[in-house]
Amino acid sequence: MNDVVSEMDWLIGALLHSCGEHVLDTMFFSPVLGEADPRAGTGRQRLASRLHFHGTPSGDFEVDADPGIARSLAAGFLGIDESEVTDSLEDEVMAEFCNMTCGSALSSLGRVEHFSLETPATTRPNEFAPAVDGVRRAFLLDGGTLSACLRVDFDRSCNHA
Amino acid sequence: MGLQILIVDDSPAMRAFIRRVVKLSGIEVENYFEAANGAEALERLAANPVDAVLTDISMPVMDGEQFVRKMREAGPFQSTPVIVISTDATIHRIHTMRALGAVGYLQKPFGPEQLRDELDRVLAVHHE
Repeated sequence: MNDVVSEMDWLIGALLHSCGEHVLDTMFFSPVLGEADPRAGTGRQRLASRLHFHGTPSGDFEVDADPGIARSLAAGFLGIDESEVTDSLEDEVMAEFCNMTCGSALSSLGRVEHFSLETPATTRPNEFAPAVDGVRRAFLLDGGTLSACLRVDFDRSCNHA
Repeated sequence: MGLQILIVDDSPAMRAFIRRVVKLSGIEVENYFEAANGAEALERLAANPVDAVLTDISMPVMDGEQFVRKMREAGPFQSTPVIVISTDATIHRIHTMRALGAVGYLQKPFGPEQLRDELDRVLAVHHE
């Protein structure tokens, strides 16, 4: 059983890595420089966005980033200068990143029949405070780190879609 | 003469991104119209006929499924091409949207080339 769980965790980790990198590169014009320590944000202010998804299966997804990275991503996504990015735009763009990376990973997972993503909630914790206990992968970007975490509840799926 | 495009998404940031990507793709657009949900989109369409609609699925008030269904029921925009732009690329969702009348489907993430290819394909089919 443990082998099955770890195999699924490995698959989710690989999907998080490839989907996160693809989303960052394609829609945020922000290349990934390498992998980072998932706990690299410990003790530092973060910007986090979380969502719950339901369907077959259901689960939770979370992204968190250095505030500077969130600003840089918002500028890249909207094609504007970083000086024009407001806190509200940062929140909105982080929510989009959360939505896209989660949807992309679930669509690629193979065992997903259908899903529906709830609207992401964005917060600004004073330090790294993970709320989702799942598989986490972190990316090193120019100026900081960003991590994504996915928990899939294959045995608690519900059909709300 | 450029295209008339309607972008339907509840996120202003995503609407701005789509406008940006359309511009980067080299597609000539004369006018962009925008709506935050399906109900607003139907109002925009009634006032401004367009060449193509780019729509999200998950939106408040009237979602993408309801919107495409309403568009296809009757009226002057019954045959206006609709391209769905969504993170959801499950077979179930794609089949549902195509069955409702969407003629194109673009999964996020996407770049200028993918958008141009899909728009070109859909408009070519529409004008055959």
